[in-house]
Amino acid sequence: MLDGLASNATVAKIRALHGKMLKKENYREMLTRRSVPEIAEYLAATPRYKQALKDIDPMTVHRGFIEELLEKDNFDTYIRLCQFQQLYKVPFFDFLIEKAEINCILMLINSINTGVDRSYLNDLPGYVIKHTKLDLLELSSAGDFTQLMKLLRGTRYHKPLVRVPLSEDGKVDYTDCEVRLRTQYYVNLLQEAKDSFADSQLEEVTRMVKADIRFKNLINAYRMKAFYGFSAEQIKKHQLKIASTGRKLDEYYNLETPEQMLEWLSRHEMQSEITDGAQIELKMQRDRFKKLEHSIYRSFSAPVVLYAFTELCSFETSNITHIIEGIRYGVDPSYIENNILIC
Amino acid sequence: MGIEKMELVTLVGKMDELDRCLAKCCESGCFHIEPAFSSVGTANGLTMLNEKNGYTAQLKEFERLAAELGIELKETDHSDYAPHSPEEFALRAKHIGESFEEISRRKKDAQQKISEMNGAITQITHLKGMNSDFREIFSCKYVASRIGRLPTDNLEKLDYYDENFFFIPFETQDLFCWGMYFCPAEEKAIIDDLFRSMYFERITLPNFVEGDSDEAVRKLTQSISEQQAIVDSCQKELDTISGQAREEILKAYSKLVYLHGIFELHKKVGFLSGKFYIKGFVPKRDKQRFSDLMKDFDSLAVTFMPPDTDANCTPPTILKNSIFTRPFRMLVEMYGLPNYGGFNPTAFVAVTYSILFGIMFGDLGQGFLVVLLGFIVGKKINRDAGGIMIRCGLASMIFGTLYGSVFGFEDLLDPMYEQLGISFLPLKAFHETGFILLTAVGIGIALIAFSMLINIYVGFKEKDYEKAIFGCNGIAGLIFYGSVVTGLVATIMFDVKIMSAPFVICLIVIPLLCIFCRVPFSLAVKYKKFRLSADEEEKVTIGGFIVENFFEMFEFMLSYISNTMSFLRVGGFVLSHAGMMLVVMTLMDMVSSTAQPFVLVIGNAFVMAMEGMIVAIQIIRLEFYEIFSRFSESDGVPFEPVTVSFSAQAE
Repeated sequence: MLDGLASNATVAKIRALHGKMLKKENYREMLTRRSVPEIAEYLAATPRYKQALKDIDPMTVHRGFIEELLEKDNFDTYIRLCQFQQLYKVPFFDFLIEKAEINCILMLINSINTGVDRSYLNDLPGYVIKHTKLDLLELSSAGDFTQLMKLLRGTRYHKPLVRVPLSEDGKVDYTDCEVRLRTQYYVNLLQEAKDSFADSQLEEVTRMVKADIRFKNLINAYRMKAFYGFSAEQIKKHQLKIASTGRKLDEYYNLETPEQMLEWLSRHEMQSEITDGAQIELKMQRDRFKKLEHSIYRSFSAPVVLYAFTELCSFETSNITHIIEGIRYGVDPSYIENNILIC
Repeated sequence: MGIEKMELVTLVGKMDELDRCLAKCCESGCFHIEPAFSSVGTANGLTMLNEKNGYTAQLKEFERLAAELGIELKETDHSDYAPHSPEEFALRAKHIGESFEEISRRKKDAQQKISEMNGAITQITHLKGMNSDFREIFSCKYVASRIGRLPTDNLEKLDYYDENFFFIPFETQDLFCWGMYFCPAEEKAIIDDLFRSMYFERITLPNFVEGDSDEAVRKLTQSISEQQAIVDSCQKELDTISGQAREEILKAYSKLVYLHGIFELHKKVGFLSGKFYIKGFVPKRDKQRFSDLMKDFDSLAVTFMPPDTDANCTPPTILKNSIFTRPFRMLVEMYGLPNYGGFNPTAFVAVTYSILFGIMFGDLGQGFLVVLLGFIVGKKINRDAGGIMIRCGLASMIFGTLYGSVFGFEDLLDPMYEQLGISFLPLKAFHETGFILLTAVGIGIALIAFSMLINIYVGFKEKDYEKAIFGCNGIAGLIFYGSVVTGLVATIMFDVKIMSAPFVICLIVIPLLCIFCRVPFSLAVKYKKFRLSADEEEKVTIGGFIVENFFEMFEFMLSYISNTMSFLRVGGFVLSHAGMMLVVMTLMDMVSSTAQPFVLVIGNAFVMAMEGMIVAIQIIRLEFYEIFSRFSESDGVPFEPVTVSFSAQAE
């Protein structure tokens, strides 16, 4: 069992790193830029991304590569933090590596389904390869789902995928695979937390992971209802089914219209009334963003703070991606500002 | 020295006068705005003006123009600047933007070319030693070749592609690997696409690059100089345009900030039947001035009401302070403002803080320097901090005189007291240790008792009987604390046996019982009904009540003891200050007479900086934990007059 206080140095280090993250003023500065090179130049000058972008040429760099470098920086930071006090010896701390592995498997399934040759290898993030237990490069040799299952045999990903029905044309239901893999991921994560941490730390970690699951379920359910008109049964089928994360959620899934869902969310999850469906996701994300920031400063538990930090980093990358996309397509800066997570 | 009286104001007028009315509110500098409706229902037609601010986009546009032209934004008088609507501002921004768009584009193109050519030079540097003519390599008929750099993370992937190509790495750095790939000419489109997907940054060597690497670098350097000349000439043109457009951009931006700020206030304005509703607070002393300002409007109805008329609005707090106490509001605000009906503790803090500082840091000379420093800090850095330093310095001088201490010289004032015939002064810290420590505790007891009196006063004012009568800081607490202290002092110090049974029962046990049962007692007084909890729905059992209150009583007892003992530090710092100066004096005696003044100055400076800081912090601690916690609720809302701030927008 990991002693809660043993990793205080990691917590302090994360708080220091969090202090370097982009702030409201940085985003506003970025929004005054008119092109991707200008944004790249600005980012390369910030203390946060100075190191990550030190070798790029802002004038010629591809925007996709900037995004990949930001993600790589987040991932490398996570690896460094795990190595700092040898946290990687505790299985729970592999959470981001496992998430990356799942994303890669899903990418490959998508590539097999669409029949687009090479797309898996092209999109495979190179920085992940050397940290994963799974041979991600070897997976590229899988031409169909059966071959993929052969390659995955003996790994923790085989069991959830083996029962996925194969259609006549050799394709599988991508969403089904995703739900199974992610459900398995969270089940493992909670079990690893149970095996690694004691009492209050376990409680805190469990609460944080379950809040993450609940957040994803709530947002996905609303999307399914509002954009695809799914029935309650269909929604339930596509949820991450983890014990004690869905209290009262059946009532939410059974609601008939997106408006009723909005009202339910306003009443049970948010502090304010939300009537605009386009804003609900953003508001919930902002709410989650605030809670994660709060966790970083309130908690003394390394797994909680690291988990919250990686989530915040991912929100930050998503903000930057939004800004870059918005600027590329000439979107009004004030519109972009209203649609990014600034708290 | 209390809390400023407020008036609740409602302004109702026609929508076309809204912006002008809000501008007047800002101009008044004394209007604290509140949301017009606390709960808005569409059924009765009430709505809040929550429309999109049309000036935001233009504000950003002018920020961008200023950034591109290198103009530093600052507040400028915009009274003579005509455009008003967002559309008019958009037209002006477009006009200014068009004037340098072409030049800016040329500059960026040239910069991009320079960047590419610099990349080419770097690449050629990496290819040094190849000694082949570039033209020969690129003129191959059946083989296509590309030079550039590939992210190192993607190198491993190359082995897993089935396509027909090979990559030759030249130099591997942290992020990129410089190299060259070759593929059959007819497959180059596919291979190029593949490498592009891996973010291969291709370097295109200009057509004129020929020969070996040395020759290529020479030609590229020459070309870079030409492009740099274009960049310089564009920059000159931009500077000229910047000079011409500067005034307009600054005026437009300042006006936009103002209009944007006014528009933002719409969010707090209500709308009903073509009329706007604004609600807020105005200090009573500014009522007439505010009313006069609003006389300019034809349709505006201004209604003043008592501050507690609207239960949904909390009146804001302004602390009323005299010149002596004003700087200490900083400390009160740091802890939290009292609520509108509460007690303003600034005067109490001013007196206690100054006295405690004087006692703990008593030195005539050092106090004088603190006063001088206070004047400088007040003028240059922070007025309130300077004010506090001046008052503390004066107190330090007074107590320094009583201690007979001047820059650590403890005997300097002795002849003066001898001449005056005052035998008990100066007070020598090391000779009167017991007296100093006991006095410190005595001061603590007096301050704690006074804090309880304030709490009783506030409790009665708020009709909170639990707080005023039965609480640990109410009448019961004061009687208990006072009796225990009196009993102990009389028995131990004066050998008077007053702790008789009636004394203990009436003045110690009964008050303790009152504190124990403070909730049911206060509810009985207020509602004439017996209940164990203030919350009617909460089920509290007798057992639960006893356990909960037993531990709370334990905590109260501990706090009485620890808070009183905490004041020992006051005496401790008197001794510490004298001790540190003694060290300085001893060090001074150890060195030569030439070095003595240096030791004296450095020693005094060190003691002043270190101990002054520690004493100041320790007194804040005493004020906050031992005194404020007994009566201060600190749930007040600060009075924030509505205004449009330039700096806030420009940040």
